[in-house]
Amino acid sequence: MPDLFDQPFEEPPVTREDVAPVRARRRIVTVSEVTAEIRSALESGFGELWIEGEISNCRVWNTGHVYFTLKDPAAQLKAVMFRSAYRYLKFKIEDGIHVVARGRLGVYEPKGEYQLVCEHLEPQGRGALQLAFEQLKRKLQAEGLFAADRKRPIPSLPRKIGIVTSLDGAALRDILKVLGRRHPNAHIVVRPVRVQGDGAADDIARALKAIARVPGIDVVIIGRGGGSIEDLWAFNEESLARTIAACAVPVISAVGHEVDVTIADFVADLRAPTPSAAAEMVVTAKEEFGARIDRLHGRLTAAMRSDIQRRRNVLYVLTSRRGLAGWHVRVALQGRHVSELTHALRRSATALVARRAREHQGRVNRLEANDVRRRLAAMRGRVGAADSRLHAIAGRVCERARARFAALTGRLETLSPLAVLARGYAVCWNDDRTAIIRQASAVTPGDRVRVTLHEGELDCEVRSAHGSDNQGL
Amino acid sequence: MDPTIKDFESASAELEAIVKKMEEGDLTLEKALELYERGVQLSRFCHSKLEEAERRLEILNERGELRPAHAAMGLTPADESGQSR
Repeated sequence: MPDLFDQPFEEPPVTREDVAPVRARRRIVTVSEVTAEIRSALESGFGELWIEGEISNCRVWNTGHVYFTLKDPAAQLKAVMFRSAYRYLKFKIEDGIHVVARGRLGVYEPKGEYQLVCEHLEPQGRGALQLAFEQLKRKLQAEGLFAADRKRPIPSLPRKIGIVTSLDGAALRDILKVLGRRHPNAHIVVRPVRVQGDGAADDIARALKAIARVPGIDVVIIGRGGGSIEDLWAFNEESLARTIAACAVPVISAVGHEVDVTIADFVADLRAPTPSAAAEMVVTAKEEFGARIDRLHGRLTAAMRSDIQRRRNVLYVLTSRRGLAGWHVRVALQGRHVSELTHALRRSATALVARRAREHQGRVNRLEANDVRRRLAAMRGRVGAADSRLHAIAGRVCERARARFAALTGRLETLSPLAVLARGYAVCWNDDRTAIIRQASAVTPGDRVRVTLHEGELDCEVRSAHGSDNQGL
Repeated sequence: MDPTIKDFESASAELEAIVKKMEEGDLTLEKALELYERGVQLSRFCHSKLEEAERRLEILNERGELRPAHAAMGLTPADESGQSR
């Protein structure tokens, strides 16, 4: 008997009822079985869908697959876009953009999830290319690839001009026309390249790298004629933009018409509105250089000329008759002046010497008249006479004084108290011999007195004193 | 060509400096003449460089080879300039 579970569940229930008649309505299946059933129901039931929604939670995996959620205000739908499909998308998927997604519903069995397997995305409201352009522009701008200080100047004297464009396009014709007219001896190297279609951007990038390596190339024009945004698209690709930025020589981008703006224009060193304009720019740079050299040459010559003229003027002024005559007169006048001065000097010097001589003689005379030796002799004579007279006078004075002294001495001896004492008189002194006592009233009884005699002295004490009218003496 | 002149960029820069110096004046006659001579040399050099490039149109092919473009391609600049004059 075959195993119950070997029976496919698609088999008519009749058979099962025979086996398990009691629980005839119960049907048991595995998770895998039911998931497979769901998968088949979803995949065949919905077919291809176009779903409108906003992208959120988008994430690009290392494998290159992109996972995101499509949502509207009320619901969410998980979605995946495999690398094989995502590759063809011009723009980068990002949160917040509104899209219409084309795909089929699928079931991811290991997780029991259903999701939209997205085959294509279109931004809503604007074209996918427009969105891609904006996204790349924003990204490269943020990286600073458009910065003005990255722009290199177009060489003023291009030795070789490189052109990267389609060989049969209008762009090449236009460029060659301008160069032929205004720069007939230009050395031009063309690198033909496909400028539209799949992979064109990579071809252009490769061509740019190749032409930049040609020795002597110092500027490259890349471009093409006008066309739709799809036609010009290669110039909006990131790979080309990065090649331009990294290019060793300055790049002029010349894509389409004036109104067409591409990423290549932003990243190039110079943006030309058209291919013809690009050629004009190269030529103008060269012509400006030539004009600059001409101007410098003109200034050089003018400076030299004016320098020479200036020197000539100086020389003329020096050698002109008037100038020289002036010098002659001035020299002659100076010479005369000098000789006059010399003469006057000599004259006044002689006069001065004579005057000095006279003055000297005068002084000599005066000096002789006042000779000090003569005056000294006279003085000596006078002093001698005075001396003699002085001696005479002094002798007389001395004689007289001596005589008078003798007389006085005689008189003096008669007046000496000692002589009186010899005659018996005594002198009474107070005790300390400082005063002579002339009246009795000068002492009181008990006082000590001294009495000088002719020979010796007495030390006495007053016993009494009597009256002032001492007639005895 | 004068070996002291390196390239047209340095030549034009030197010419510019010489012109400025001469315009300022204040030079001895010998120095002025020397500068003038050098300036003329530089100017001639730049002019010769301007005229030096010869009219050529080449194609760089996929293999990296430079080939002269054929007149048959209608790309020779000579034709264009010839007609426009």
